[in-house]
Amino acid sequence: MSATTLDRVVGTARRSPTFAVGFGIILVFALLAAFADILAPMPPTLSHPYETLKPPGSGPFLLGTDGNGMDVLSRVIHGARYAFGIALPAGAIMAVVGIPLGLIAGWRGGWVDEVLLRVLDVLRAFPTIILALAIVAATGQGFLNVILVVGFLDSPIFARIVRAEVLALRNATFVRAAVAAGNPEWRVLLVHILPNAILGATAQLPLRMAWAVRISATLAFIGIGVQAPAPEWGAMIRQGAEYVISGEWWVALFPGLALIAMVLGLNLAGDGLSDLLDPKRRATGK
Amino acid sequence: MRLLEVEDLHVEFAARGLDNRVRVARALNGVSFTVDAGEVVGLVGETGAGKSLTALAAMGLLRAPARIPQGSIRFEGQDILAMSDRELEKIRGRRMAMVVQSPLTSLDPLKRIGDQLVRMQRVHGTARGAEARARAEAMLAAVRIPDPARRMQAWPHELSGGMAQRVLIAMALVNEPALVIADEPTTGLDVTVQAQVLDTLRDLVRARNLGALVITHDLGVVAHYCQRVAVMFAGRIVEDGPVAEVFARPAHPYTQALIASTPGRIAQLGYTVTGGTPPDLYDLPSGCLYRDRCPRATTACLAPPPRIALDATHGAACHYAWEAA
Amino acid sequence: MMLDVQNLVHRFPGGVNAVNDVSFSIAAGETLGLVGESGSGKSTIGLLVTRLLAPTGGTILFEGEDITRLPPAALRKLRARLQIVFQDPWGSLNPRMTIGRLLEEPLALHTTLDSAARIAEARRLADRVRLPAASLSRYPHELSGGQLQRVSIARAIANRPKLVVLDEPTSSLDLSVRAGILQLLDELQRETGIAMLFISHDLETVRLVSHRVIVLYLGRIVEQAPAATLFDNPAHPYTQVLLSAHLPPDPAMRLRRHEVTGEIPSPINLPPGCFFAGRCPVALPACTAAPPPAIALEAGHSAACLRIADGTNIIDPVEERA
Ligand SMILES: Nc1ncnc2c1ncn2[C@@H]1O[C@H](COP(=O)(O)OP(=O)(O)OP(=O)(O)O)[C@@H](O)[C@H]1O
Ligand SMILES: Nc1ncnc2c1ncn2[C@@H]1O[C@H](COP(=O)(O)OP(=O)(O)O)[C@@H](O)[C@H]1O
Ligand code: SF4
Ligand code: SF4
Ligand SMILES: [Mg+2]
Ligand SMILES: [Mg+2]
Repeated sequence: MSATTLDRVVGTARRSPTFAVGFGIILVFALLAAFADILAPMPPTLSHPYETLKPPGSGPFLLGTDGNGMDVLSRVIHGARYAFGIALPAGAIMAVVGIPLGLIAGWRGGWVDEVLLRVLDVLRAFPTIILALAIVAATGQGFLNVILVVGFLDSPIFARIVRAEVLALRNATFVRAAVAAGNPEWRVLLVHILPNAILGATAQLPLRMAWAVRISATLAFIGIGVQAPAPEWGAMIRQGAEYVISGEWWVALFPGLALIAMVLGLNLAGDGLSDLLDPKRRATGK
Repeated sequence: MRLLEVEDLHVEFAARGLDNRVRVARALNGVSFTVDAGEVVGLVGETGAGKSLTALAAMGLLRAPARIPQGSIRFEGQDILAMSDRELEKIRGRRMAMVVQSPLTSLDPLKRIGDQLVRMQRVHGTARGAEARARAEAMLAAVRIPDPARRMQAWPHELSGGMAQRVLIAMALVNEPALVIADEPTTGLDVTVQAQVLDTLRDLVRARNLGALVITHDLGVVAHYCQRVAVMFAGRIVEDGPVAEVFARPAHPYTQALIASTPGRIAQLGYTVTGGTPPDLYDLPSGCLYRDRCPRATTACLAPPPRIALDATHGAACHYAWEAA
Repeated sequence: MMLDVQNLVHRFPGGVNAVNDVSFSIAAGETLGLVGESGSGKSTIGLLVTRLLAPTGGTILFEGEDITRLPPAALRKLRARLQIVFQDPWGSLNPRMTIGRLLEEPLALHTTLDSAARIAEARRLADRVRLPAASLSRYPHELSGGQLQRVSIARAIANRPKLVVLDEPTSSLDLSVRAGILQLLDELQRETGIAMLFISHDLETVRLVSHRVIVLYLGRIVEQAPAATLFDNPAHPYTQVLLSAHLPPDPAMRLRRHEVTGEIPSPINLPPGCFFAGRCPVALPACTAAPPPAIALEAGHSAACLRIADGTNIIDPVEERA
C-alpha cells in the first residue's frame, strides 16, 4: 500500500462523490462555527439602532442588517454554532440511547422489543414536529430542552435500525461460532454483534442530525425553542419573515440558505457514507 | 455438426481501487473449445476459474464493466460478438438456452409454472394458446415431473429444489433449442435428486440431438454424464479431450492434481497434492499461470505454454504435456 | 466413551421433527461420519451435541458428564473441550476482527495467558494449520475460503479440545483445497488423538475420513457400521439407494443404479412406520405399522429394516444404461 493520504482522499472522493460534496459542505460550516468570532465581521447581537434593515452591500454589512440593526452575515456565521450545538449533542443522544436499545431489543426480544415497536408505531402515527412542539411547549423553551427532546424523539428510529441489523446477525454463523467458542453473552453482543450492527446506524447519523437541525429551526421559527435575538437560523427566518412582504428579503433569505445547505450537506454525507462503510467494497485495494 | 465454437476468448474487468488506480482483472485468458450436436461437454474448474463468465459470454450476456479485448464466439456459424442485442434476444431462449444454478430464484415467483412455460413460447413465437399449453405439459413430462397436468398449475414455491431445477430445464428446452448451457445445474442438490436431474438432461440431449455444455466442479458429473471435458484454470482451458482419455491419462499437472485430490485417490495413494490459491487476476504472472503450484515447473515455464495436441482429440496447455501422456 | 448420546430428540418450533430418537457414541480418537441428505438432521445433531441448541429429549454424556442441561457458566467452560467448525468459511468469522484477534479469542476466553503469550500461541496455531504469518494482520475478506476454514479449525483446536464437530467443513471448498483441509484434520487427529464427528453429504469424503459411519434419514439412524463395511455391504435399502446415486469421479466405474420414486415425507408430518416405506422398492405391508428396530448384522453393524431378519434386504441394481 503506497498510496499517500492525498491519494486516499481523492480515492474516497471518487468512490463516493456524494459523500465528498456533503462532507465538504459540513466542513465549511464546521470551520465557520469554530472560527465564528474571527470570521464574523462583528458580534452577532451588536445592534446598530440607526442602521436597521439595510440591504446587502450597505457599508460594512455585506448581507445587510435585520430589524434590530444586527449584521446578517455575522448572525448567519454564528448560527452555524447553534446548528452544530443541536446536531452533535442530539446525535450523541440518539446514538447513546438508540443503539443499546436496539441491541437489546434485537438480541433478547421480549418486552424491550415490544415497547420499542409500540413507541415506533406512535411516532409513525404522529407527525414528530407536533410531538416535539408539544413537548417543548410543555417543558420550557430552553435550548437544552430542544436538544433533549429532539435527541430522545429520534432515538427509537435509531434503535429500530440497529434492531433490524441485530435480528439479521443473531443467526449469522460467526455469531454462532462466537457462542461456540465460549464467549459470554455480553461479549457476543459487544464484541461480535455491535461492531457489525452499527454500520447502518452510522450512515443514518448525519441524516438524523440533519433532521435535528431542521426541527430545531422549525421550532424556533414557530417561536418555540431558541428565542431571538439569539443568532439561530430558524429564529432569524421567523424574524425576517415579517419583512419579506415589505421587500426586505435578505433578513430571511440568508439564514434560510444556510439552513438548506447544512441540511443538504448532512444528507449527502449520510447517503455517501453507507456506500463507503460497506467493508466488501473496500476489498478492491490490496 | 458444430454448434458452438469459442476461440481464444479473453475477458477483462477494470475496477478502481482504494488508491484510485485503475486495475484490470484478466478473468479469461484465451478460452477455446467447441460443442457439437449430440454431445455433452463438461467444463470443470475451481471457483473463479471463469466457467460462468465463459457461459455468459457464449450467451452474449456479458455487459460492461466486462470487456472482450480478443477472441471469437461462433454459434451455428454466426458471430455472437458482432450481433446486436435485438438479434441476440431472438436466438437466446430459442436456439440456445441456459439453465442456471439456484432454480428457485430463477423462476418468477408470481406466475404458475405452466404460465411461465407458455410465456416462454409466446415470447419467441414458437407456439401460443392451446398448442403452447400442450407443449408445456409434454415438456414437463419429458423432464419427469410426476403428474404434469396438475403441476402446470403449481407455484414455484411449491416445488422441491430438484423439481424446480427440472422445471428450469423444461423452460430452457421448451423452444427446442440446439444448444443448452447448464451452469452448475445440480450444485446444492442431493445425490439422489442430482442423478434424476442429470438423467433428464442427458436423455433429452440424446433424444433431440442437442449439444450441451455442462459447467460443474464435480468430477463425478463429468465422469458419468459428459463425452468430452475441458478443464479450466485461471481463465484458460488447460486440458481438453474425451472424458475416458483425460481421466485415464491426464496430461496437465493441474488435471492430475484435481484427480489426485479426489477422496478415492487419496485413500489409495495418500495426500499427494498441496492445494494453493489461484493466481491474482489483477496481477497475472507471465508464462504458465499454473507455475506457482506446479510441481513440474522449470524455467521453460516462464514462457506461456501452447496447447500441445497429444492426439487428434486430446490436448493440454503445458510445455511437458507429452511427458505425462 | 468420549461422547454418548441416548435417545436424542429435537423438535423445532413449528413442529419440525428434526431429530427422532438418535443414539450413538464416539470413542476417544475416533472419527464418526454422519451422512444423510439435506434436511436429515445432521447439522441439528451437531448443534445439539455441542449444546448450541438444547434438545427436546434424550441425554448427552460428554466424557461421562451429563451435559444435556447445563447452566450457562458451566456450558461456557465446557466449550474449551468441545468444539465445532461450520460449513460456511466466509460466514464463520467476524468480518471486523483480524485473523490474529480471532485466533487469540479462544485463548483469552479459556486460559490465563497474558497478551504476549496469546500472540505467540496464535502464531503457533497459524503455523500449525499452515496459514502464512502475514495473514494474522488480515481481515477475513482478504483470505480465500480454504484459508478461512484453516482459521476456523485453528480456533477450534486452540484449547486442545477432546471432541470437534465438523459440519461439512469442506463442502463449500474446491477439490484441491478440500484435500488440504482433510489432510490437516488427519494430521491433527494423529497428533492429538482428538475425536471427531464429521458431518457431510459427500459420501467419498466420509468414507475417506471416518472410522465408523451413521446414515440418517429424516432424523432417524437407518444404518451404522464401520466405514468399509457400510460402503461395501450396505444393508439398509436407503443406504443402498444413496450409495448407488453417488457418482464416483472415475468414468471407468460402472454405475449400479436403484431407481426410487415417491416423495420424501414432510418432517412436520412423519409417517408412523419406516420413514422410507413410501419410496422403498422392497417395502412390506408391515413396514408402515411401526418404526423398524435396529437389527445387528455383525459387531458394530446394524440397520433398521424389517427385511434384514430374513436376509431379503438387498435390492437388485439396475445396470447403467449405456
Ligand atoms: N431453526 C430451525 N427452525 C425450524 N426448523 C429447522 C431449523 N433448523 C433446521 N430445521 C429443520 O430441521 C430439519 C433438519 O435440519 P438440519 O439443518 O439438521 O439438516 P441437515 O441434515 O444438516 O441438512 P443439510 O445437508 O441441508 O445441511 C430440516 O427439516 C430443517 O428444515
Ligand atoms: N463483475 C465482475 N467484476 C470483476 N470481476 C469479476 C466480475 N465477474 C466475475 N469476475 C471475476 O472473474 C473470475 C471468473 O468468474 P466466474 O466465471 O464467475 O468463475 P466460476 O468459474 O466460478 O464460474 C472470478 O475471479 C471473478 O471474481
Ligand atoms: S507449463 Fe510448466 S508450469 Fe505450466 S503446467 Fe506445464 S510444467 Fe507446470
Ligand atoms: S423397513 Fe420396510 S420400508 Fe423400511 S427400508 Fe426396510 S423394507 Fe423398506
Ligand atoms: Mg460460477
Ligand atoms: Mg447441515
